[in-house]
Amino acid sequence: MKKIFISIIFLCTISFPQENNSSAINLFSPINTKKFADYLFCQHDYLRAIEEYNRYLLGTSSDSIKFRIAIAYSKMGDYKQSIDEFMEVPEKSQLSPLAKLEIMKSLFQSGNFNELRNYFNLKISNNNFNEKKEAKSLYNFSFLFTNDSLPTEHNFYNAFHSDDLNKIKKFYNWKKDPPEKKSLTAGILSAIIPGAGKIYTNQFWDGLWAFITSVGFTYLSYDNFHAGHYFRGWLFGGLAVGFYAGNVYGSAASAQIYNAKIHFDFVNDLKDFLESHNYFIPVINFCK
Amino acid sequence: MKLFIIILLLPVINIFAQSDWIKWGKADYSYQIKNNFQHRDYSLNKKNYERFLLKSFADGYWLLISDVDGDNCSFNPTCSNFFLQSVEKTNIVQGSLMFFDRFTRDMDIFGKVGHYPRVSDGHFYDPPSLYLMNQDSIKYLPHSFVLKDE
Repeated sequence: MKKIFISIIFLCTISFPQENNSSAINLFSPINTKKFADYLFCQHDYLRAIEEYNRYLLGTSSDSIKFRIAIAYSKMGDYKQSIDEFMEVPEKSQLSPLAKLEIMKSLFQSGNFNELRNYFNLKISNNNFNEKKEAKSLYNFSFLFTNDSLPTEHNFYNAFHSDDLNKIKKFYNWKKDPPEKKSLTAGILSAIIPGAGKIYTNQFWDGLWAFITSVGFTYLSYDNFHAGHYFRGWLFGGLAVGFYAGNVYGSAASAQIYNAKIHFDFVNDLKDFLESHNYFIPVINFCK
Repeated sequence: MKLFIIILLLPVINIFAQSDWIKWGKADYSYQIKNNFQHRDYSLNKKNYERFLLKSFADGYWLLISDVDGDNCSFNPTCSNFFLQSVEKTNIVQGSLMFFDRFTRDMDIFGKVGHYPRVSDGHFYDPPSLYLMNQDSIKYLPHSFVLKDE
């Protein structure tokens, strides 16, 4: 009897507080759902944040939440979906101008530069749009990523903030006249002095080794012919020709690799610049 | 009765406890460097006379010299593989020129570090596609890049 009594008391002490808690806090209420979604968003857990935001939107309508969902897709790199979500933000909404800029950003990040320019011309350039300068900056910047003809200097520069102008001028001039090395020049240089073409393409040690091998085998060939060792003379002579011709060819190829390298570095510089300027879009911190 | 249960339980506990060897047993880990050159493709293509001849020389070189010498080429693909791939992608003349250039670069003991990207096994990554004299075929990778599988 005593045991049963103690058990009942014990069970009550466990179950009553739990019942009280569950009735006091509704974890699935819209407010808590949004709080949880915000928390996930700020923890960069975007996929689950989207899920929670969508759950929240079942009971209510909010442009701000739609905007966040679109941002979450954009952060995950799902640009197609993010564009669709940004399109959901109504024209009348305060967030509409930002959504348009974000659409441009998503088009930019997905590499759809032609679509970006079409979007700008259709939706922004002719309309009354407060953030037109930011949009024009991104529009102009897209020309640095493609081989399309650049706008005139005046048209290009006037879209940017004066603080960034020096950097922008450097980018523009680089794109206009990239400091590329010519394959033909590299080949001719190596034909005149073995290895010179490699040094021209910034490959000093390769150039030096090319010079040593070409000159070394030529000397061995000459020396063996001179000593009457004709087989060795032809053998080393053949190798000398091979290394010489290979170096002329390799110098021309090296110029192309050099050009690929500087273009790679240029694109990386552009991307770093854009990231540091948030693609010219005003930063909204949802996680204060 | 209690004694019977205890006797029944003890072996069960012992058996389960012993199964813990999976967790605590000595890891059978090999520190040996993987010798990829030992898994070479020695097959010959009899349909193509030029390729057959070239591959025969390469097979002979691998079997008698390279495999005995060990994994000494600092590049991936190795110079002999580079030659074969170059000829396959271009022709015998251009492939030979690419090979001579590669061989000169292989001799360069100072300029490789900080110039070529690496494969995860430490070799310098230098594919023939960079030297085809076709700007579009060049997929530039910075030297800090490490390829997982090649």
